[in-house]
Amino acid sequence: MAAEAAKKKIKSTSWKWVWTRRTVQTLSLLAFLYLLLVTVQGVAVHMPYDLFFFLDPLNGIASMIAGRAWIAPMALGIFTLFLAVIIGRAWCGWICPMGTVLDWTPSRRNPEKPGISPVWSQGKYFLFFTVIIGAVLGSLTLNILDPITLLFRTLAGAILPGLNWAIEGVESWLYNFGALRPAVSWVDGALRGWLLNDQPFYLPNLILLAVFAVVLGLNAVRSRFWCRYLCPLGGLLGLISKISFVRHRVDTEKCISCGKCSKICPTGAIQPEEKFKANYAECTTCLSCLEGCPTAAISFGREKTVVPQQDKTRRWLLYSLGASALLAVFLRFVPAFASKARSAVRPPGSSEDSLYSQCIRCGECARVCPTGVIQPTQTGNPGKTWTPFLNTRLGYCDYSCNSCGIICPTGAIAELPLEEKRKTVIGVARIDKNRCITWAEGRDCIVCEEMCPIPEKAIRLGGEGEGEGQGQGRGGGNGRHPHVIEELCNGCGICEHQCPVAGESAIRVFPL
Amino acid sequence: MCIIAFYFDCSYRYVVSPVSICYHEIRGYFSLFYTDMDISRRDFLKNIFKLGSAAAAAGALSSLSACDQETPPSASKSGQETTPVATPPPPGTAYLAVARGKTPEAITRAAIEALGGMKRFVKKGDDVIIKPNICTDYHTYEYAATTNPEVVGALVKLCLAAGAGRVRVMDKPFGGTAEKAYERSGIAEAIEAAGGEMEIMSNIKYREAVIPDGRDITRWTVYGDALDADVLINVPIAKHHSLGRLTLGMKNLLGLVKNPAQFHFNLGQRLADLTSLLRPELTVVDAVRILTNHGPTGGNLNDVKLTNTVIASHDIVAADTYATSLFGLTGDDVPAIRAAVPMGLGTTDLESVKVVEIDV
Repeated sequence: MAAEAAKKKIKSTSWKWVWTRRTVQTLSLLAFLYLLLVTVQGVAVHMPYDLFFFLDPLNGIASMIAGRAWIAPMALGIFTLFLAVIIGRAWCGWICPMGTVLDWTPSRRNPEKPGISPVWSQGKYFLFFTVIIGAVLGSLTLNILDPITLLFRTLAGAILPGLNWAIEGVESWLYNFGALRPAVSWVDGALRGWLLNDQPFYLPNLILLAVFAVVLGLNAVRSRFWCRYLCPLGGLLGLISKISFVRHRVDTEKCISCGKCSKICPTGAIQPEEKFKANYAECTTCLSCLEGCPTAAISFGREKTVVPQQDKTRRWLLYSLGASALLAVFLRFVPAFASKARSAVRPPGSSEDSLYSQCIRCGECARVCPTGVIQPTQTGNPGKTWTPFLNTRLGYCDYSCNSCGIICPTGAIAELPLEEKRKTVIGVARIDKNRCITWAEGRDCIVCEEMCPIPEKAIRLGGEGEGEGQGQGRGGGNGRHPHVIEELCNGCGICEHQCPVAGESAIRVFPL
Repeated sequence: MCIIAFYFDCSYRYVVSPVSICYHEIRGYFSLFYTDMDISRRDFLKNIFKLGSAAAAAGALSSLSACDQETPPSASKSGQETTPVATPPPPGTAYLAVARGKTPEAITRAAIEALGGMKRFVKKGDDVIIKPNICTDYHTYEYAATTNPEVVGALVKLCLAAGAGRVRVMDKPFGGTAEKAYERSGIAEAIEAAGGEMEIMSNIKYREAVIPDGRDITRWTVYGDALDADVLINVPIAKHHSLGRLTLGMKNLLGLVKNPAQFHFNLGQRLADLTSLLRPELTVVDAVRILTNHGPTGGNLNDVKLTNTVIASHDIVAADTYATSLFGLTGDDVPAIRAAVPMGLGTTDLESVKVVEIDV
């Protein structure tokens, strides 16, 4: 009877702990999503929209080293580092929104036999070292693997535009039913501005979705596969947790070696071969093992003894350090990966260099852009994968907007006052006379001239009958054709965006 | 992965929208069964509340057919098939009113008063849509690229005083977001003060409409609420425009269609066709400030001329024709006006109608 009561007590205490952790995780993920959704022109500036990027010490360390600049708010990352010194990888188990998403994804827990050699968990150190050595060399290429940027970029680049498209489709259909109109209209109005906007779905962003799907899919191999083997932030916190204070402890007298804890542990930190002691670099302090233990042999507190398993991998740590140095040098110095050539129209206030070494590839600028012109690069220099560029067919750089520079957490896109941004030249428009309706078909069209936001008009129409013999009269038009005044053009791309020619625009913006 | 990425980049620079394709398919399918139900949507919506829930269910079905076969406005406003303009002026009132003066609100009120007051256009409980020109979020109204906020505010007040049930003000800017453009133009503030509401034009409310009188286009996707509203009031600002020569009342209606850029082939005729579909009950041309060059976006105060005028008429063609004179032009210079006359959409012969000019 007494044993039953004791068991119940164990159950209820551990249950409380696990649910506290789950509540914190949920709140943290909700906060992350909220800050993502309010990253909207004119709204975000009143919010700590980039809190999670600053809390993430990997972003801070890498971007400050690579950018050779002190970014004051990145000091918030010290909080996370300090947390790691106290209780190991608690960030991963309690706060990281990516970790929470992985916890909520169906997964395969640890089988009886390990199957995967613990050596593979060196993967995360290898990637962490590569990010840092790359940063020392001035490249942030591999910061795409940072979990916070990975999650934000996927949501902002693919999932939200996809939702926008799907919700609008359903609403448009429902709006046909007269009786439903007031309700649909109300719902649409309530969602517009934060969930629904004018950002189109840029199809290449399906790659972001595919990468994210792979990260989630690896859960089918092992729960939290990403956190165990790949996450560079997990690598950083894992290294620190080797000196952490609060640790997983096992009372060997109470332990009946039932193996329940090692099966339940989401990161496979508990090692049956080491008397069920935890590898601290893997333990996320999620406290699930408390719930699993039938004899209350597990507790968390001050623990000095080092589990031998960790020493065995010290050699591997050195190997991965060497290998990551090689990879970083490769990414930085092999021309195909590190070309400085300007390959795309970039946001005003940024340069190829700043995007290479200051951009953490988070996707904040793409999220805040009201027209959806900013998209992650998928082609060109692989060293700049998923840095922002302007797809001026999809959208245009609004003459009255400087949000991307305001929002950028690292200053890769400089914050420009509106007047200065309006004059910042990001590209130049050129007319394709073989496709332009007025030049090629001799019909009237002046959409590009009409749209041009420059007060003096950087696109002007020639006189009546100008360009005679080049189609004048054939299409019944007045024979006036658009010309670009290159000295006035700032490359905003509204002409390319609005050009009514089907397919590729007849006026296109080229990088300078 | 880079090869795949390159493939995507080359092939799909554009957004493909299978949903919109499906949706037309579904609508077409339903219309097979309901095409014989010939109920005007507007009357129908009003009846829904009277008939109760059973009727509401049937109504949902019949509105499907209404969607597919948009009732021509000339037929729904019964008895006006042969009348070229929306509401003919009652005897004694002005056909076209022109008011001049320093206060935009006062001249707007004076012009509407000369037309017989707002009650002539707005009946009690009417759903009114006011369409100013808020083309971009680039400049404030002093740059004469967007309609004067006081003129729009005055119209909202007049509509509400005439007993309108709901007054919405909207435009779809081509530069910048609607929220920001509404704010920058000063119109959002004026409308809030006047008691009207600004509507962000939602992508979901567009539908394809048949243009029975159209000569170049017979179908276009148009903002559904503008078709359904009881009263549409068109409040353009008079501006320079290189293809249309000027942008006035008819050009202002372009803000109510989907794919306005595609509209620019044969712009004049298409604007006349669109006017024949939308037939605004009242057109008020804001010529407090006019933009004489580098329109329609503007941005240079040297191009702005202070003319302190408001022109109002039920006849959009007559109002536009009068406005051309402010630029030293005639109706013949504007392709849209030229195209509208043979379609019977209004008159350019201002000698033959009663024009009242007021100085406030």
